[in-house]
Amino acid sequence: MRGTGVGLGYSPSKFPGVSLFLLGLMGLVGGCQRAEQPAVKAEIQVEIEPSPPKVGQADLAIKLTDGAGQPLSVGALEVEGNMNHAGMKPVFTTLREAEPGQYVGTIEFTMGGDWFLLLTGQLADGRQIDEKVDVPGVQRP
Amino acid sequence: MKGCSSLPPETASQLPPTDSAHRFDLLRTPMIGPFLQWRKSRMTLQALVFIVSVIMAAHAFWGPQLAPKNLGALLTWVHFRGLVVLAVLLAGNFFCMACPFMLPREIARKFFTPRWNWPRRLRNKYPAIALFVGVLFAYELFDLWGDPWWTGVLIVAYFAAALAVDAVFRRASFCKYVCPVGQFNFLGSTMSPLEVAVRDPDTCTRCSTKDCIRGRRFDVEYERPSTANADALPIIQRGCELALFQPRKVGNLDCTFCLDCVYACPHDNVGLLARLPGETLAEGRSRSGIGSLNDRSDWTVLIIVFVFGALLNAFAMTSPVYVVEQTIAQYTGLTVEWPILGMLFFAVLIVEPFVLLAAAAVCARLASKRTDTVWSIINRFTRSLVPLGFGVWLAHYGFHFFTGALTVVPVTQHAARSLVGWSVLGAPQWQLGGLPESVVYPIELGFLGLGLLGSLLVAWRLAADFAPLRTLQAFAPWACLNTVLFASACWILTQPMDMRGTFLGG
Repeated sequence: MRGTGVGLGYSPSKFPGVSLFLLGLMGLVGGCQRAEQPAVKAEIQVEIEPSPPKVGQADLAIKLTDGAGQPLSVGALEVEGNMNHAGMKPVFTTLREAEPGQYVGTIEFTMGGDWFLLLTGQLADGRQIDEKVDVPGVQRP
Repeated sequence: MKGCSSLPPETASQLPPTDSAHRFDLLRTPMIGPFLQWRKSRMTLQALVFIVSVIMAAHAFWGPQLAPKNLGALLTWVHFRGLVVLAVLLAGNFFCMACPFMLPREIARKFFTPRWNWPRRLRNKYPAIALFVGVLFAYELFDLWGDPWWTGVLIVAYFAAALAVDAVFRRASFCKYVCPVGQFNFLGSTMSPLEVAVRDPDTCTRCSTKDCIRGRRFDVEYERPSTANADALPIIQRGCELALFQPRKVGNLDCTFCLDCVYACPHDNVGLLARLPGETLAEGRSRSGIGSLNDRSDWTVLIIVFVFGALLNAFAMTSPVYVVEQTIAQYTGLTVEWPILGMLFFAVLIVEPFVLLAAAAVCARLASKRTDTVWSIINRFTRSLVPLGFGVWLAHYGFHFFTGALTVVPVTQHAARSLVGWSVLGAPQWQLGGLPESVVYPIELGFLGLGLLGSLLVAWRLAADFAPLRTLQAFAPWACLNTVLFASACWILTQPMDMRGTFLGG
C-alpha cells in the first residue's frame, strides 16, 4: 500500500466571507497558536499485514524517504491510528527502526472502516516529520 | 375568574378527554419546575448552547482538520446528534427549547419587527423536507462527519438562515416551515414521554382571552396586562408562534417546547405532562395548527424522508454502499460522486418508499374491502413507521454517542493546549473513549426492537380505526412492511461502518 503524505497543521479558511463572521475569535485563536516547527516532506510506503487490513492486531511496516529517495532516519517512529469519523478513540504505537528509513511494529485496529495513521518523528538535525497516511477499508474478520 | 367566559357547548365537547390531574407534570417538580417556569430560562439555555456553538464553529475553521480531533466535527456529529435523540426519547423536544439558532433572532427582534407573513403557498412542510434531504445529501457528498471545515460552514449557514428568515417573516416561520432539525425533532418527539398540554380542559372551556395563542399585551394607560382586544398594544408575553392553540393541540408535532404558552396562560393551566409515547400518532382528528394528518400529504412525505432517510443515512456509512456506488459507476461510466449519490437517494427516498408503501396500501385496501384511494391509505398508515424510524436514528446516533462520548475530554484538552500553548486542562487523555462496540450493539438492537413494537402498536390502532371489522387484515400488510424495514435496519447495523471516504478513490 502506498500512502500519500498529507501535511498536518491548521488549515486556513477557504472563503473569506465565513472568516469575517468569526473575526473576533480568529484573533483570539490565531493569536495564541503555537509556532509550528518546519516539517520534512516525506515519501511514505506502508505495508500492513494482513492485507487488506482487518480488525485486530496487524503488522505495520513503513518506509520513509526524502524527495531524492534517501532514507529518513528518526530512530523511532510514533504512530497514532484513528478513524476518519469523529468520536473514535485513537490507538498509539511506536515503530522501531529495523534499518535506516525502515520502521516495523504492530498496531491494533479496533473497529472496521476507514482509518488514518499520523506519523511523527524527529530527524537528527531537529527537523520534524508529521505525516498522515490513509488506511481505508479495515475489514471486520 | 378573570378572562373567562362560557364557550358554546359544542366547542367544549371537542376538547380532548384527559385525566391531567393525575398526570406527572415536570413543571410541578422541585428545581426543574421553577427553573423552566422562570421566563428567562429558555434564553439562559440558548445562551449556553450558543457559546458552545461559537466554540464549535471557531474550532471547525481554525482547529485541526482531523474530525476526531476537532470540536466542531466531534460535538456536531457525535454529541449533539446523540444527545438530541436521547433527550427526545427520555423527555421531549428540549433541543428546540435550547436552540442556539434562535438566540440571534431573539436579540434582533428587540430592534426591529418583521413585516411579512410566511407565503401562503409555502405554509407546509415541503421547504423543510427539501432542506432535510439537502442536508442528508450534503452529509454524504462532502463527508461531513470527517470534514471539520464544511461542518463549520453548516453551523454558520444555519445561524444565517434562521436569522434571515425570521428577520423577514413574522412569528416562528423558520421553526415551522424551514428548519430540518426542527422537523426531525417534531417527529421524534411523538415518541417522547412528555408533552406541553393543558392541565384542566374545563379551565380552557371557560377562558375567553386565549392568551396561550394570542399573547398578552400591555395596557400602557392602566399599566397592567390588558385583556382587551387591543392589538396595537405592545406584547408583554407572546403566545404560540407556531399557531398551536393549547386546547386543540394534540401531541408534540410542531411544538418547540418554547413554553410561551405556559408563560402566557393567565390561569397557570399549561404544563409539561406525561403521556404514552407514540400514542398521538394514531390520532386522526384535527390538530390545532396542523389539521388532520390524514389530509396532510406534506407530513406524509416528511415521515417518508424521516424513516427511509434514517435507513439511508445508516446504510451510507457501511461497506455495501461502497459496492453499490462502484457498481453504478461501472455501469454508467460516471466518475464523479454527486450523480451517483443522487441516484442512490432517488432509489431509497422515492422509488423504494413508493413501491413498499403502495404495495402495503393496496394489500390493506383489498384485505379490508375498503374503497379509499391508495394515497389516502398511505397518508393514514405511514405514521406507523415513525417509531421504527426513530429507533433507527436512535440506534445510529446512539452508536456514535455511546462509543465516543468521552472523546470530548481529550479533544477539549488538546484544543486548550493548542490555544494557550500549554496543557491548561491537563495532558490529553486519549485513552478515554466510550462503551465498547460489543456493549453498544445490543443497545442498538433494543432501540430497533422498541421502535418495531411501537410501529406495530400504532399500525394496529390505525387499522382498528380504518377497518373496525377487518382490523387484522388491514394491519397485516403494514406489520409486514415494518418488519421488513426492521430486518433491513438490523442488517445495516451488522455492517462495517464508514467506508464512504474511499468512494471512487476520493
